[in-house]
Amino acid sequence: MNPTDSSTRPLDVCVENVSVVYNNGNEAVSNASFHLKSGIICALVGINGSGKSTLFKAIMGFVTPARGQVLISGLPVQAAQKRNWIAYVPQSEDVDWNFPVSVWDVVLMGRYGYMNFLRIPRADDKRLAEESLRRVQMWDFRDRQIGELSGGQKKRVFLARALAQQSRVILLDEPFTGVDVKTEAAIITLLGELRDAGHIILVSTHDLGSVPEFCDEAVIINRTVLASGPVTEVFNEANLTKAFGGALRHFRFHESTVQNHDGRSVTVLSDEERPLVFGKDGHLEFSKREGRENIVRERANHEDDE
Amino acid sequence: MIDALLVPFQYDYMVKALWVSALIGGVCGLLSCFVTLKGWSLMGDALSHAIVPGVTIAYLMGAPFAAGAFISGLFAAVGMGFIKARTSLKEDAVIGVVFTTFFALGVLLISLFPSGITLKTIVFGNILGIADEDANQVLVIAAVTVLVLLLKWKDLVLFCFDPNQARTLGLNVNAYHFILLSLLSATAVASMQTVGACLVVATLVTPGATAYLLTDKFSTMLLLSSGIGITSSFLGAYFSYFLDGSTGGCIVVIQTLLFLAALVWGPKHGLLASRTKRKQALARSLA
Repeated sequence: MNPTDSSTRPLDVCVENVSVVYNNGNEAVSNASFHLKSGIICALVGINGSGKSTLFKAIMGFVTPARGQVLISGLPVQAAQKRNWIAYVPQSEDVDWNFPVSVWDVVLMGRYGYMNFLRIPRADDKRLAEESLRRVQMWDFRDRQIGELSGGQKKRVFLARALAQQSRVILLDEPFTGVDVKTEAAIITLLGELRDAGHIILVSTHDLGSVPEFCDEAVIINRTVLASGPVTEVFNEANLTKAFGGALRHFRFHESTVQNHDGRSVTVLSDEERPLVFGKDGHLEFSKREGRENIVRERANHEDDE
Repeated sequence: MIDALLVPFQYDYMVKALWVSALIGGVCGLLSCFVTLKGWSLMGDALSHAIVPGVTIAYLMGAPFAAGAFISGLFAAVGMGFIKARTSLKEDAVIGVVFTTFFALGVLLISLFPSGITLKTIVFGNILGIADEDANQVLVIAAVTVLVLLLKWKDLVLFCFDPNQARTLGLNVNAYHFILLSLLSATAVASMQTVGACLVVATLVTPGATAYLLTDKFSTMLLLSSGIGITSSFLGAYFSYFLDGSTGGCIVVIQTLLFLAALVWGPKHGLLASRTKRKQALARSLA
């Protein structure tokens, strides 16, 4: 399962001066560049319409850049796809949940690239599909039609498909939308394990609060790459304000109003999802799992009240 | 009594009509699974009308009608794709414009060059009068379609279900799009013989839609829909002999009856089953 086994070249993803222009003349992404090394989880962060999903599509090979290129271990995306190097976990809205396929069928689809012309699974394919389903605790659900599952379970099944594909690069599109807290924690743990095994995980998200918690790096984009690098460096007020502009709510609490553990002032940035909290010196305050769960719980209580 | 029921089998033309109808019905049934799941029902309707000018020109030139229909169907598909990609028009508007244009062209050609082919044959079909070479063309179309589906149904399912995953696996999604469109054009031509251009879309949608209501398993859906296609087409042709009515009309009415039955009594998604499920859930929550 070591993703760097079969190639002499170390795994990396290189986005070089990528511009994507749509037919209507709209330049969705302009001159974007960043570089990802083996064994990291990276967040792709930006508001709707920032070109986030377009850049995502370019890395997956769904759109061809007008200028620039995406290289995976030095190979163009199409060549990397043929080698089963790229897996993706779709956004829930992009899937037809009424489609007559079972959980097992979906996970086996991750193995098609390894199967023969008729796509008849061999023992190896079935073993890997089973392992993947067990790893996400969905083996008992293998005969269910996919639409019968809960939001979190659906996400796990698609994650299992990506695991079965044994790809080096895994892209997840908004993985935490419509997912319960428990599944979210399970996904984050799993992504951590994959990172430690040397994979590159790229997560597209607008959930700012969760980024410092499980991502090593972040790429902040608004039409082009505004900043990229370790989360602790790029996740600062200046960059995020530039990326999110008016979409981001800004709260500043001073020493007199806030009663945190050391009485410093804090700044809260929120895009209606989960807040991101900075201390006085601009350090990320709020990145602890326990804290997250409290917030989610409080929010749930709040929604119940309404 | 039995003798009276066997009368249709005494006529060669009826026997031929029965097996050709059943064959086309089965093939269209298979394909209808992909059409309904891909959301191409309207596309099927469009293609079945768009093939008319091709059929007319092929007849006038003495070429095989299937070739003409196929080319004209592809022209329409490419035209729709082109307009869709270059404008911000909604897909149904694009389909509406293109298929009526092609159909109108066909109607015009038939009226300008009266020949052995009549508008009525194309629009309503004439399975009872099908010529041997036309039946042979249907055989070829059926054989090719079944072969392609047999070999590639798993890839086509993936293409319909999750084209993005197909892409990340390095499959040529455009090729599968083209294959499915080609099969659709080809079977539309075949189906035109039995039910006519106007009702082709029924044979390419209804069996799949019916099977969809009956199962959550794709392989079962394929078997059910081809079974429905074969049975309804055979019975439709058979009953039309006694009714002395339109074969196409009979076939589609039988398919509709089967659809309604599935809608009401379907074991999992039927109206009655849903009502029972709702009641049970309510009883559980009250208990």
